[in-house]
Amino acid sequence: MTKHEVYITPNEVSIDGKVLIHNKNGAAMLTELYRAYVGDYPKFFKMDTLSKLGFVASELLLHSEGAERFVPREDRAVVFFNRSASLQADTAYQATIQDPENFFPSPAAFVYTLPNIVTGEIAIRNKYFGETSFIVLPENNPQIMARELQNVFLDPMTTSVLGGWLDCTDENHFEANIFLILKS
Amino acid sequence: MDELIYTLKQQIIEALNLEDMTPEDIDENASLFGEGLGLDSIDALELIVLMEKNYGIKLKDPSQGKEIFKSVAVMADYIQKNRTK
Repeated sequence: MTKHEVYITPNEVSIDGKVLIHNKNGAAMLTELYRAYVGDYPKFFKMDTLSKLGFVASELLLHSEGAERFVPREDRAVVFFNRSASLQADTAYQATIQDPENFFPSPAAFVYTLPNIVTGEIAIRNKYFGETSFIVLPENNPQIMARELQNVFLDPMTTSVLGGWLDCTDENHFEANIFLILKS
Repeated sequence: MDELIYTLKQQIIEALNLEDMTPEDIDENASLFGEGLGLDSIDALELIVLMEKNYGIKLKDPSQGKEIFKSVAVMADYIQKNRTK
């Protein structure tokens, strides 16, 4: 059973189908949303765009849970899917090692060269100790995602999943369509 | 020295993505880690890269960072004494 849904593109944001008004587009819009609806997690600014997208989307999704949100729990999984893995972070890191004359590998860029870092960011923020996965697919395939999300509930510990599509190729091309799904 | 401290603050803000901070917000004598700026272990590695990239200082022993990165003032003092560029 889907409880809530958040949809974000570089110029569109909606929560449960209701459009959220914003002024900026692209990655600047993610920062605008962070300042307007979160504001208490400076680590946001260190994240790559994929993690910023997942972080902001999850914050909007979980906003209605109120104070109980940050009570540590093992019964919620975080499972995302995308097509581009961590391409933007990979490219940013590559830029720091491309020139042999200016070879300074950036640890901060390297940290994000795995897509599943975003699941960790969300789990740390919300004190989730359940399953976290990030599955890279050839394309956005709702059937495969639905099947995989259902499979998460085979673990008797899991009672809800924060998951869905989370793709980012650069600061102006991304899409999040994530859900909070309860065990039926 | 004041100029180096100011430049260093700017470089730290840029390298560590300390959004919303200006050089004036950073107390050069405050601790960089823990209670001060609240930096983490990845930031420490990034500071090591910053020192090598901008000042030609290569820390052979990363544990030296514990002393050198005590504050911006301590860091600037170390840079002034050991910089190669």
